[in-house]
Amino acid sequence: MNTKKIMECERNRFQKIINFRLPHKFMTIGIAIAALSIITMFVRAFVMEGDTEWLKELSKKGLLVGMLIMSISKDKQEDEMTLALRSQSYAIGFVIGVVYALVMPYVEFGVSNVVNSGGESYKDLGDFQVLLFMLMIQLMFYHNLKRYR
Amino acid sequence: MENTIKVERAILSLTQDDLAKKIGVSRQTINSIEANRYVPSTVLALKLSELFNKPVNDFFKLDDNDLK
Repeated sequence: MNTKKIMECERNRFQKIINFRLPHKFMTIGIAIAALSIITMFVRAFVMEGDTEWLKELSKKGLLVGMLIMSISKDKQEDEMTLALRSQSYAIGFVIGVVYALVMPYVEFGVSNVVNSGGESYKDLGDFQVLLFMLMIQLMFYHNLKRYR
Repeated sequence: MENTIKVERAILSLTQDDLAKKIGVSRQTINSIEANRYVPSTVLALKLSELFNKPVNDFFKLDDNDLK
């Protein structure tokens, strides 16, 4: 295989990854997984007793997986404009997510110290909080951009 | 970019929905193109050109902002 063919092969593989989308029916599956995870979080917090830390972690992962499935599933009618809007929403989600991860720990620290003197010590955000925020922003912007197109 | 797709569509007596189905996009996309909120790809412009039986330049024009 010569260099040109290898490059072509690589390019095709990248295109496949870039164009990968789940069929539209996965949107419902994603919503169901996310909803089930949220319900599980509430049940664990208010109803269940004992050591249920594993269930908390499982529902967190479930919520992220559900939202990811919602994010990468196709629309009923997918065309070039929805693809452009989706790209814009990912860009906005990424940028706002990074700003959130940088600023939010200082806001939490500041607020906590203003409200109670000698409040919480500074701590970074966890991966769940940042990923959840990014996915929420992406989905929210995508649906709003679609509504106002 | 300005366009006269609404006029071309009226000449052929097509609704936004009809035009959308003919070129394989959603009605909202046609609405956005007509309102100059979205600039279509070359592929879509050529599909419109084939449907209207006119060159792309006849219904898409650069405006002053594009020429700056």
